Amino acid sequence: MATARTPREPGAKGGNGEGRNRPKHNVLITGVSSTAGRHLAMHLAADPRIGFVLGTAPGPRPRFLAGLDPKRFLYLPSDILRPRQVRDLFHGAHFKEHGIDTVVHLAFVSHPNLKGRKVHRLNVEGTKGLLDRCMESGRVRKFVFKSSDAVYKLDPSTPVYLDENADLNHDPEADQWVQDRVAAEMICRSRMDSAGMDVVILRFASIVGRNVGGQMNAYFDGRFVFKALGYDPLLNLVHMKDVIEAIRLAILKNTGSGIFNIAGADTATVTTFAELNGRRCIALPEHLLEVVNWAMRRLKMTDYYYSVDRDRMRYTCLLDTTRAREILGYAPTRSIEFREYRGLEG
Amino acid sequence: MTLEGRRIAWKFAERLLSPGDLAAVQRFDFQDLGYGYDPFGMERESAMLAYLVFNALHRHWFRVESRGIQNVPTTGPAILVPNHGGVVPIDGALMAVDVFKNLDPPRVVRYIVDTFAAGFPFVSTFLSRAGQVFGDRKNVEDLVRRGELVGLFPEGAKGTGKLFHERYRLRRFNVGFIEIALRHRVPIVPVSILGSEEQAPMLANLAPLARLMGVPYFPITPTFPHLGPLGLIPLPAKYHITYETPLRFYEEHPPSAADDPVVVRMLADKVQVRVQEMLDDALSQRESIFDLGSPLEPRPGGNENGDSTNPP
Repeated sequence: MATARTPREPGAKGGNGEGRNRPKHNVLITGVSSTAGRHLAMHLAADPRIGFVLGTAPGPRPRFLAGLDPKRFLYLPSDILRPRQVRDLFHGAHFKEHGIDTVVHLAFVSHPNLKGRKVHRLNVEGTKGLLDRCMESGRVRKFVFKSSDAVYKLDPSTPVYLDENADLNHDPEADQWVQDRVAAEMICRSRMDSAGMDVVILRFASIVGRNVGGQMNAYFDGRFVFKALGYDPLLNLVHMKDVIEAIRLAILKNTGSGIFNIAGADTATVTTFAELNGRRCIALPEHLLEVVNWAMRRLKMTDYYYSVDRDRMRYTCLLDTTRAREILGYAPTRSIEFREYRGLEG
Repeated sequence: MTLEGRRIAWKFAERLLSPGDLAAVQRFDFQDLGYGYDPFGMERESAMLAYLVFNALHRHWFRVESRGIQNVPTTGPAILVPNHGGVVPIDGALMAVDVFKNLDPPRVVRYIVDTFAAGFPFVSTFLSRAGQVFGDRKNVEDLVRRGELVGLFPEGAKGTGKLFHERYRLRRFNVGFIEIALRHRVPIVPVSILGSEEQAPMLANLAPLARLMGVPYFPITPTFPHLGPLGLIPLPAKYHITYETPLRFYEEHPPSAADDPVVVRMLADKVQVRVQEMLDDALSQRESIFDLGSPLEPRPGGNENGDSTNPP
């Protein structure tokens, strides 16, 4: 499924560059109140190759979006779980007036502690409903879905570098956080052959940084970093600025439908990253980790969910980024600023 | 390994390695991703400690002699294809030490290890840090694309599980290495390892118990299991390693031949027959399995024929 189809960009007449004379892209961002959404909105609103940015999320406009240029950014409250609100969004004056041609879907529950039917509806049915509205509108030419390397199945026979064709984790025992991502991705993949709209899936390595949130931040910022005894797998961490750059390239580049692995500049073991972050790794027998993690969460000592990363704590999961490099032109440029980084250099 | 662990490892190495070996571990080609690990998880300090241990075994326990090291490419990708045996599969580690210390510049052999080992704590981490890679086709292709020296046992785990009376009779080679060699235009270096298949004579294999434990075989040897883990200590059989002229099948066959099962099988058989001939030849020349009495001529670094022996 990772093969690219014939690209369709607004006004495309060949080439895949970000040429000066090419028409500007007008982008709708769902889940703009998320960390990635906020950074993306600010970045795109300042990008001259982007015409207009429409941001949506349930509820009133977040304060951090107040400073954006109203000629280039507009916030519209909309809940993708409510079909009427989504329909109103796509048939509304702003959508048509600004000629929205690209949708970046970030409205996904980002924390594994939120579970259940409602979360599943947002993650999976919300994605499906949004995709269907995009296709029905006839205006949207590209749908960009932010996914994660958590969708990959890991076991002893997994290669060190996973390409986009690697097996996905369809384990029914997997955490809902993983299952929802896999299900949403499959919906996106099933629409990749649709006429008139390109579907681009970006599978990101673990995003780490200050005020970013997410699993790996919670893991390395915990008071104690517990790992499985006898295992020390390699991890790749990606900086938020590289995440934004990859999404920007996915919007601007004429790639056709496809899946792209997006990795960061930092690859090391769990122990090394913990040490760089000023934490000491404590190795425990594997079967104790789940219990210890549960106790730490109950004591409010961590937000990290071990059950999501059970396999990742044993087997190396690095992303083969050949396609992203060759087709998107993506290369990571930012390193994570660890607390003890200077210590390593010394 | 922690930063402090790395510092201690270097102190160890300075005391225990010869100046030549220390220089070799400091200068071998290592693609550091920025935090002391290469793209496949090798760590220079861990590889150095592994070298320290297996170099001692190479030199004092197995007294390895080798011939034809000049046939191992000093640059670019190559696949070393030896026979496999010995119940406890340390033949690969001894060959890797032999290549590292006799080749100039030194190169690390990236062995493709059976994936069942990746599920074992400590073992999987140690193998990965020492430069070994678990056996997936994509891993092998990624390694040769990066120009690495790959060591591959086409007999697989069934090679190390041979009974004593089957020693040095090669099991059928898998064909994956031929497909990769053709597709990526990589030379294949046939290697014979004599000694490994006598280090732990396997008298019987308790296959049902092996299946129960999820391991390829459960050996009964003269010393195992009745001596417990100590029974797995290999006998000091003398090793003779021979590296043969590289086979460059890609010069006669296009990359598309990798998709032809008849051609691929024929070429795998050709390599198997070549390794078998090398083993038969070495066996006919060998006078003793252990060869404990005959002192060795000290010829460090090998001679102009690429032969090397360890000093006594």
